[in-house]
Amino acid sequence: MSTLKHKGKGPQSLTANELREGLNVWMTEDLTWSRDFKDAMTTEDPDVMERMKHRGDTDEADNLVVGVYFIDIEPETGLPARYREKFRAKGPSIDTADLVEGS
Amino acid sequence: MYRYDEFDAQIVAERVAQFRRQVERRLDGRLSEAEFRPLRLMNGLYLQLHAYMMRVAIPYGTLSSRQLRQLAMIADKYDKGYGHITTRQNIQYNWPELIDVPDLLNDLAEVEMHGFQTSGNCIRNVTSDPYAGATADEIEDPRPTAELLRQWSTLHPEFAFLPRKFKIAVTASPNDRAVIKAHDIGIEIVKNDDGDVGYHIIVGGGLGRTPIIGQTVRAFLPREELLPYLEAILRVYNRFGRRDNKYKARIKILVTETGIEEFTRMVDEEYAQLKPLDIAVSPEEVARITAYFADPDYETLDNEPKAYLSEIASNRDFALWVDSNIAAHKQAGYAIVNISLKPLDRAPGDITSAQMRKVADLADEYSFGEIRTTHQQNMILPHVKQSDLPVLFKELQKAGLAEDNIGMITDIICCPGMDFCALATARSIPVSQAIAERFSDPERERAIGEMQIKISGCINACGHHHVGHIGILGLEKAGVEFYQVKLGGDASENAAVGKVTGPGFSQEELVDGIERMVDFYLDQRGEGERFIDTYNRLGMEPFKEVLYVD
Repeated sequence: MSTLKHKGKGPQSLTANELREGLNVWMTEDLTWSRDFKDAMTTEDPDVMERMKHRGDTDEADNLVVGVYFIDIEPETGLPARYREKFRAKGPSIDTADLVEGS
Repeated sequence: MYRYDEFDAQIVAERVAQFRRQVERRLDGRLSEAEFRPLRLMNGLYLQLHAYMMRVAIPYGTLSSRQLRQLAMIADKYDKGYGHITTRQNIQYNWPELIDVPDLLNDLAEVEMHGFQTSGNCIRNVTSDPYAGATADEIEDPRPTAELLRQWSTLHPEFAFLPRKFKIAVTASPNDRAVIKAHDIGIEIVKNDDGDVGYHIIVGGGLGRTPIIGQTVRAFLPREELLPYLEAILRVYNRFGRRDNKYKARIKILVTETGIEEFTRMVDEEYAQLKPLDIAVSPEEVARITAYFADPDYETLDNEPKAYLSEIASNRDFALWVDSNIAAHKQAGYAIVNISLKPLDRAPGDITSAQMRKVADLADEYSFGEIRTTHQQNMILPHVKQSDLPVLFKELQKAGLAEDNIGMITDIICCPGMDFCALATARSIPVSQAIAERFSDPERERAIGEMQIKISGCINACGHHHVGHIGILGLEKAGVEFYQVKLGGDASENAAVGKVTGPGFSQEELVDGIERMVDFYLDQRGEGERFIDTYNRLGMEPFKEVLYVD
């Protein structure tokens, strides 16, 4: 997962993909993972970030998630700062699945 | 139709079993992600922006109704009920789960399909003219050659780890419908002055971040020399292609840096080492493969039967659809039917599972059970009786598949962009929809005529924007999408790379600017001129003036 534009300053959240299902997840306050960005923990506390990183690395080693990395969060909106991460958080703006009956 | 031989069946079955074990080892940690990633990519499984994505190979865009029904079943069972036709004639599923993929591959194998060579630095799925075997303007059916290449390139051990991916396209028509000059190797089946059929070999074309039109490496290659000669090209590339820089690793860079004369000399030198032609294919083997592609049992019919003409005269919607979506067939009384996958409410190239089943049923009823996918992200029923067209049209209408826009301004090639792709820098699907909406008036669309707009959501150019009459590249700066415009690209036999007009636009500005250019073209065009013709006559400046008028 590209972290090229990650500044690592200001509020941060931790994200990854589920290994089995592949969907995007964000680490929550109880150090578990949620598929909903609204549940993501955001922090600037280095100690908390260290705990998040440790949990993320552990979960990756335990084959629960893949591609763990921190993302910058906009302080004013609480949303991911990077454009790409905004899309990961909110999902596609159009998905033909929405037109499929019963979806 | 192509068919597996005993080797294909064994290879695919073994690969499915291998991948099942690899997934098990990944899930229990015996394989790390770094170890597993190349293994999943070798089976067409990517990890994209939101989820895994499975790309399934459709050899030279040829499908049977049975295969399409299975693809529909897979869309429902493992995905969200739809698939996406790609610019390499393949199909992608956007939402599969890793734990299901071994079963998915097993279901694909049941209908002689797989995801081999839809990813990675190998020879990718060979593409071809979607009208192959049906059109009157071809020298011969290119599919036997494409099939020969499929068999040769499938898991070719020497070419499994090339410097970069390698794409081959084959056509047998002077009207290029396979963009052969934008491929690593483009093959045109030609006749020489003696009437012998052979191959015009073009090398070093490609799009991506460095668009280059391919050059002739051999004007006429005798038929039996095809595989040894391609082997020589691949060997030169494998040895001298750059591995130090991913962005300079395609054969187009090697050919450009070496020069076509020197590159040709290197290939000829390597070719001389290959003789005797131990991998040349015997005429008997060629005949065996060609027999797979025998014509279906056409009826003896007259062209343009009365009922068909009378429906054209009395049903305007049908007449418009015939005008844009039907192409001439080599067999009297038959037609090639293009099914547009570009309705306004859908991402270009997407098709639901219900529509796949419908197309499969219609193929069985009206087209000898055969379907094609196109690099334009549409589908084709290649052999339909003209007398069946009125009822077929009604059936397509009921299924939402009767959009009459083939080759026109709303028939846009468009990559998945930021909505799905991990590499994208901006969205492309909403831009495509905004343009399609702006030009949705059918009368106006027809007045504009043939027009190719192509949109890519990043510089990797999966949406072929370099060869669009109008090409659009989505970029992003400081969280804001903007769109760069290229003009004058051409994906046909007159292949050309478009030129950038200047600074980019917001989506709204872009659509307004395109509209101004189209209006300018309509005002300035000469008799019978398409947009690209008027552009080529007048040059970029006047179009740029109206594009940047604000």
